[in-house]
Amino acid sequence: MTKIELETGGSVWKLLTKPGDLVEEGDILFILEVMKMEVPYESPVNGKVTAVHISEGDFVEEDQLALEIAD
Amino acid sequence: MNWEKEIDEIARRRELALSQGGEEAIAKHHAKGRLTIRERIDRLIDDNTFEEIGPIAGAANYDENGNLESFDPANFVLGFGEVSGRKIVVGGEDFTMRGGSPSPAGLRKSIYAEEVAIQYKIPLVRLHEGSGGSVGGTSGKGTNLPGPVNAPARFRSVAQAMSTVPVATAALGAVAGLPAGRLVASHFSVMSKKTAQILTAGPAVVARAMGEQKTKEELGGWKVHTKNGTVDNGADDEDACLAEIKRFLSFMPDNVGQLAPVTSCDDPADRADESLTSIVPKDRRKAFDMRYILSSILDRDSFFEMGRSYGRSQITGLGRLNGQPVGVWANDCKFLAGSMTADGAHKARRFMELCETFSLPIVSLVDEPGFMIGSQAEREATIRHGTSAVLTAAMTTIPWASVMIRRSFGVAQAAHYGPEGFVLAWPSAESGPLPVEGGVAVAFQREIAAAADPEKRRRELEEQLAARQSPFPRAEALGVHDLIDPRRTREELCRWVSRVQPLLPALLGAAKFSIRP
Repeated sequence: MTKIELETGGSVWKLLTKPGDLVEEGDILFILEVMKMEVPYESPVNGKVTAVHISEGDFVEEDQLALEIAD
Repeated sequence: MNWEKEIDEIARRRELALSQGGEEAIAKHHAKGRLTIRERIDRLIDDNTFEEIGPIAGAANYDENGNLESFDPANFVLGFGEVSGRKIVVGGEDFTMRGGSPSPAGLRKSIYAEEVAIQYKIPLVRLHEGSGGSVGGTSGKGTNLPGPVNAPARFRSVAQAMSTVPVATAALGAVAGLPAGRLVASHFSVMSKKTAQILTAGPAVVARAMGEQKTKEELGGWKVHTKNGTVDNGADDEDACLAEIKRFLSFMPDNVGQLAPVTSCDDPADRADESLTSIVPKDRRKAFDMRYILSSILDRDSFFEMGRSYGRSQITGLGRLNGQPVGVWANDCKFLAGSMTADGAHKARRFMELCETFSLPIVSLVDEPGFMIGSQAEREATIRHGTSAVLTAAMTTIPWASVMIRRSFGVAQAAHYGPEGFVLAWPSAESGPLPVEGGVAVAFQREIAAAADPEKRRRELEEQLAARQSPFPRAEALGVHDLIDPRRTREELCRWVSRVQPLLPALLGAAKFSIRP
């Protein structure tokens, strides 16, 4: 199980995956907006998204768990 | 009658000293995946270069006839050695005796390390694993007499060493109390991810005083201390830590009176990287890879990053331009847009102080949107730490070259330019009192609110103002030394280095301000 935790706070601009999606390493999972910059989060593994804990428009915090992938 | 007996005893004592805490203690230490201090020193320095100081310092026990019965060596090993042919002072606690908690002779040797490095004006490397004092005292036989009032200030030599010679340290096992303080009193520190913890106080003391039940790793493992800046770097194991220390020293002069070593360089000074023309996206919301730009501009494979996991919006390290060691500083727009956070500012200040101390020119690649904002930033006293970085830059005397890569805004941007610095701009450079997005929202608040379509009007105004932040008017006004094709950056910086090199000898000697942890 790979857990994607947020490196900084910000807001969720685009969510590009949902539970059940198959993802490959390097695929963009979601994009945060931080200080007017887009910060894409890429999948570090090949696997299946099992849980998504964020929604578009959410204000999120550093270290928050965003997504889980079964690899 | 000759001195045979005494000569034999010297040999015996030397042999006993090498046995450290004994076979059992050493085996136990190895079983935990850790090297002994003698093995560490051996791996750090060039073959057969160790010249030990006080090899038979320690505590001797005698029988009733005055014959040596046993010998406990000082639990700090100290000496001279060479790293890549350059003389250094190296020392570290011997964990196989008293868990590295200082014995009387061990403490003397440990404190002497700084004094020797200052006296011989050569770099100091300390390899730490051990704890501080014990309530039983250094002798283990009860409380010692306190030092006399006229004793030299205990930490003066530690502070003096930092303004005289390069000091590099590693945490290679649990490091607590005094050794932890000495670990961070350095210009570069690294900890082993596998085996080290850094603890102001260990779990037992914390449990007693605070009621908090935590393991050593939870209290002071690498995940805690590389992120909070206690150490500069984390490395996989002990050998990797020693390799990082060697790398750091390769950029450093022996002391503040000497120039950093210039090496021969086979990377052409006019090497032009085609990809630099498109690396900065035209879409201002899109980030780019500043580390790629750094590695492309500096001599091939010369970039050595320090503090990557801490104050991550700022990238600091050392590198070479045409063989000349330089300090390297840049913003990372992938992390909090590269803004000046409290911890990023602290990291930047220490970096500038390091460069000032050892007369290293600074190369600064600027993409600074300003101080980090928001409630967390306010709680962290960002404006104070940030202004500290800005004023540090203003007081430096070393040569600076700053390249405006993209944004250069607010008070925070001033930290990225040194006095009389050489300034280049890329076509992607934008600058001003604050980025248009924030500035428009404030300055044109009423106009936007009154518009039929406020969102549209806001965007129009942003575009108008963004156009005014073009680097061409700045270049016309001699606001930069030149506006350049990004491909020419390396060549321009190498030319700058050759211009400032003749100025460096006049800067040698004690810096007006030095570095503090």
